[in-house]
Amino acid sequence: MLRNKARVLFMIALSLTFGVLSACGGGASSGTSQGSGSDAKPASDNKSAPATASAKPAEFSFYFTGSQNVKDLWDTLIPMFEKATPDVKVKPVYVPSGTGAQPTYDRILAAKQAGKGSGDIDLYEDGVNYVTRGQKDDLWDTLGTDKIPNLAKVDQKIMKDVANLAVPYRSSAVILAYNGDKVKDAPTTLDELYDWIRKHPGKFAYNDPSTGGSGDSFVTTAIYKFLPEDAIHNSDPAIEKQWDQGFALLKDLGKYVYGKGIYPKKNQGTLDLLASGEVDMIPAWSDMVLDQINKGQLPKSTKMAQLKPGFNGGPTYLMVPKLSANKDAVAKFLNFILTPEAQSVIVTKMSGFPGIQLANMPQEVQDKFKDAAAGFRTFNIGDLGKDISKRWQSEVAAQ
Amino acid sequence: MSKQVKMGMLGLALVIPSFLVLFVIVVIPIVISLLESFKDKNGRYSFVNYEHLFTDKLMRSNIIFTLEVTIVSVVLVLIISYALAVYMRFNNGVAVRWIRRTYMIPIFIPSVIATYGLIQLLGNHGWLARILLQAFSVESMPRIIFDKKGIIIAQLWFNIPFTTMLLGSALSAVPNSVIESAKDVGAGFLRIFFKLILPLTFKTLLVAVTFVFMGVIGSFTAPFLIGPNAPQMLGVSMEQVFGVFQDKQMAAAIAFFTFLLCSFMGYFYIQNMIKEERSRSA
Repeated sequence: MLRNKARVLFMIALSLTFGVLSACGGGASSGTSQGSGSDAKPASDNKSAPATASAKPAEFSFYFTGSQNVKDLWDTLIPMFEKATPDVKVKPVYVPSGTGAQPTYDRILAAKQAGKGSGDIDLYEDGVNYVTRGQKDDLWDTLGTDKIPNLAKVDQKIMKDVANLAVPYRSSAVILAYNGDKVKDAPTTLDELYDWIRKHPGKFAYNDPSTGGSGDSFVTTAIYKFLPEDAIHNSDPAIEKQWDQGFALLKDLGKYVYGKGIYPKKNQGTLDLLASGEVDMIPAWSDMVLDQINKGQLPKSTKMAQLKPGFNGGPTYLMVPKLSANKDAVAKFLNFILTPEAQSVIVTKMSGFPGIQLANMPQEVQDKFKDAAAGFRTFNIGDLGKDISKRWQSEVAAQ
Repeated sequence: MSKQVKMGMLGLALVIPSFLVLFVIVVIPIVISLLESFKDKNGRYSFVNYEHLFTDKLMRSNIIFTLEVTIVSVVLVLIISYALAVYMRFNNGVAVRWIRRTYMIPIFIPSVIATYGLIQLLGNHGWLARILLQAFSVESMPRIIFDKKGIIIAQLWFNIPFTTMLLGSALSAVPNSVIESAKDVGAGFLRIFFKLILPLTFKTLLVAVTFVFMGVIGSFTAPFLIGPNAPQMLGVSMEQVFGVFQDKQMAAAIAFFTFLLCSFMGYFYIQNMIKEERSRSA
């Protein structure tokens, strides 16, 4: 009897463990496959900053998330900063994208609610969604030029958008990437683009908006085309009623895009199609396109164009938790990040847009971004993006 | 203390560690996600998530799609693996040697890499399309990648090696003498197969069904990368609902439903095991 029971238990254990294992496998690979492709690298962060017991250099911990290119960037910038500012040490903590930006934010929030300062997180990097969310929860410190003089070089409109709570230290924009050999006159406005898509069935692709920002941008731009211009800074759910026309347009375009309605997964999915010549035009992140042309993954004939009005692009922000104990050290770091030298690293290392205004950058950098910089728009629609993906999934993908 | 009680205690002591692990990493999460799945947006208990799961057009098509892919994959995997295993068991020669050497290879290739490989091979302008175009001037191929067919092919790739191994070991346990004596009394191959080989390996076949079923229904990488945008398999949909729509309760409901499907399979399997055990001890 006992043997029998044990055996049954064992079998249950076996089958359940298998089920769980396969589920875990799925979860793990979902982590690896998010972001832009090969960013599955465990956070090996403590190497560069041993926790010094002596209190001489001020040390602060910096949590950031993103693909491998973001980690590479900070691996270059932080040693540069520490060399220039010996009295401050940075302890970077890399959270690979897809594995937990949310928990980092939750940690800051929980620490505040528990009255425990900022949870040892002194600087945090993320997109605009978390800036606005933190604004609601009153988490971020207001930043000013008194402590960070270089903030003056940043576009003040962007600073106003985030109520001076965050530093837009770099940005990238979604642009139109196309095969210059096949496409002679690229569209310059949204209407021309939609026309082009209709006239060249199967030659345009955008990725599933829930899996990558470039497809998301295409979708959002199409929806907000029919709305007043200032709607892109509105995160009030009441506006959702006005989306219908945009979704109708996307549904209609579905017949003309690649494979009559195939939306590859992830930003890289469409880039792969462009590289293999299956499509001639895609929306894509400028930094990814530039980077892949440099590495030869995309043919040299690949060209970029920004539309008017542009797709959305957006800065990535650095935020300082209000309750951080190391604000002065962080301010020094932020000031360094906004110097033209550090900004040049962003340009060379990850082909990102500088966070400071282009006029402050060397001439060659200004030339490089001539095509892509003109007219990208910053969308700040908060949680509405979630509803867009949801509705896109049920109306456009499943038509 | 009698010897029997001692043995019993030893048995329990051996079971408890694994049971505890099971309890902490399986039972508790299942209970938590079950409770979570019954919460609506305001944290009150209701059936709203399950209602959505079974009435929403998109979700329903996801469920049907998942079951379709799973059942077709299970059937195909079993047919191919069983045929392969039987062939390897009862034949000898160069072909068998080569199959034996190579059939395990897919196990050692990470699933992401295999999936991208399949995309390269079977994609719209992939190798296969180019070869067909060059050799037979076949202009158009049915769509395989970004389609159900692609997912099923990927599942075959992932599941055949292990299933073949499982069935192969069961078949090697079928004694030659039994088959030879059956042959001596004049039984044909089909008769031997259905009267002897199949019944003798039936239990392992059931194990294989369970494993393939659970593996396919919970798969993520291949359906995510080569599946269509809609309908999706439940694993992909779960990730989207959880990660993108951030609807934790709905994701929990999908997860629990998937678990139910799997435990349904597991139930039949365990039931059968118990029956077997009883008939043996009787």
